[in-house]
Amino acid sequence: MHVYFWREAWRSFRAHRGLAVTSIFSLAALLTLSGIFLLLDHNARQALNAIGDRREMIVYLKDEVSEAQLAELMDKVRQYFGEPTYVDRKQAWDELSRQIGDPDLLSGVEDNPLPASLRVRLKPELLNYAAMEQAAKQVQAFPEVEDVRYGAEYVRRLDELSAGMATAAWAAGALVALAIVLVLYNTLRLTVVARRQQVEVMLRLGASDRFIATPYLVEALLHTFLAAGAALLLLLALQQALASRLAGLTFLPLPWLIGFVGVALAVAWVASAAALTRILRTIGS
Amino acid sequence: MISFEHVTKRYGERLALDGVSWRMEEGECAVILGHSAAGKTTLLRLITHETQPTSGVVTVGTFRGGRLSRSHRALLRRTIGVIYEDFRLLPDRTVFENVALALHISGQFMEPDVTPKVLRALQEVGLEAHRDLLPAELSFGERQRCAIGRAIVNRPALILADEPTGALEPKSAAEVLSLLLRIHREGAALLLGTTRAEVANVIGGRRYLLEDGRLREGGPGTMPVSAAAGQAAASAGGP
Repeated sequence: MHVYFWREAWRSFRAHRGLAVTSIFSLAALLTLSGIFLLLDHNARQALNAIGDRREMIVYLKDEVSEAQLAELMDKVRQYFGEPTYVDRKQAWDELSRQIGDPDLLSGVEDNPLPASLRVRLKPELLNYAAMEQAAKQVQAFPEVEDVRYGAEYVRRLDELSAGMATAAWAAGALVALAIVLVLYNTLRLTVVARRQQVEVMLRLGASDRFIATPYLVEALLHTFLAAGAALLLLLALQQALASRLAGLTFLPLPWLIGFVGVALAVAWVASAAALTRILRTIGS
Repeated sequence: MISFEHVTKRYGERLALDGVSWRMEEGECAVILGHSAAGKTTLLRLITHETQPTSGVVTVGTFRGGRLSRSHRALLRRTIGVIYEDFRLLPDRTVFENVALALHISGQFMEPDVTPKVLRALQEVGLEAHRDLLPAELSFGERQRCAIGRAIVNRPALILADEPTGALEPKSAAEVLSLLLRIHREGAALLLGTTRAEVANVIGGRRYLLEDGRLREGGPGTMPVSAAAGQAAASAGGP
């Protein structure tokens, strides 16, 4: 794009400073709102991932499993389901003793009744309720396996919570996008109407819609870029203020920041192009 | 270059043009003389596709009749230099920028292309010393010369001038007419609409009288103006 269009956009920006500032404030408020949802979503995801890391499957083994069978089973589990850790009967008993804490409570138990087991840290693609249920059924089918346990209800609720948060984030994003469209449409309409005489002269001189619209489009993107920058600064201030009270509250990572600004600019581009097409058609023959 | 075939234009009940058939060739000079609201501006607006005929066909160069798309309409207008009575300059741009605008619109942005063309146009209209002034800082005559500079900077084959001296005092009007004649002599076709018989006399070329929606041709530079047009010309004869 030639520097002429940037110069024209800057000329229009300066000529309508009041309108530009109002537009930037409105957009910044909207983007801050959507940024708060993003910040919540990001931190919730982090928390869920931390919990998700502990989503493991316990595979209880039959007593008669030989070492060769165990090695073969571990290979299969590693290949299809995740990283297995073998816990023999003695380790299981020691862990139980540690957890109970009082040795007198277990003194009456003569033989170790606990089976050997595999603790499987599942592959990331299996960290949802449906996939875990399917994986449990498949593992259960191995002849060496006595039983399979995993926190089915807990995992299901975790997945529901995660899906709910994603839906809320999308809904907020859609509402904010709609509001951005309305703000930009009205700002552009007012800007173009204020320069209607000039637009008419340009049309009479043979200017294409694209020639006339490009500076306004650049101006709208400039408004959005400045508003996104202001929104991110506000969000950073908010995060810093809350971080002392909510341990572990982190700011958005760089890819999210780039995505946030990128999506805001993309929405602004589409909204402005559509608005300008409509506005110019009402102005000139 | 331009042809009108049985062109009629109505605005509601009012008939502006009534079955006008007319041609203008490349490099030709013609003056449409008529009283105020006779339809001169309508005729010029039909050429630039700012309005559509109620019936009939208007052809300009390779653009023949019908409703052109917005992009074709823009393309057509870039091939014509238009001069308006009220100048239609952009108030927040300097003389240089107003003239350069026509080049930018036709897709020329590079400094080495634009600057020499603009300076040449400004030299032709005698405004090179005023290149950095805003239109509000110019006299009416200078504003019209700036508008002419904008119209000729792309070297169009056709110049349309709608009452180009209407807002000017006699000295400026004479300068503008002499400028238009010079541009025409350099090869551009010139079509001028005016209420003033003396303007038609100065320009010469083919002269048409537009009256009651009908276009009649008179002898070159000698046709007497009708009573109505004469009265209009006398009453709007300028300061």
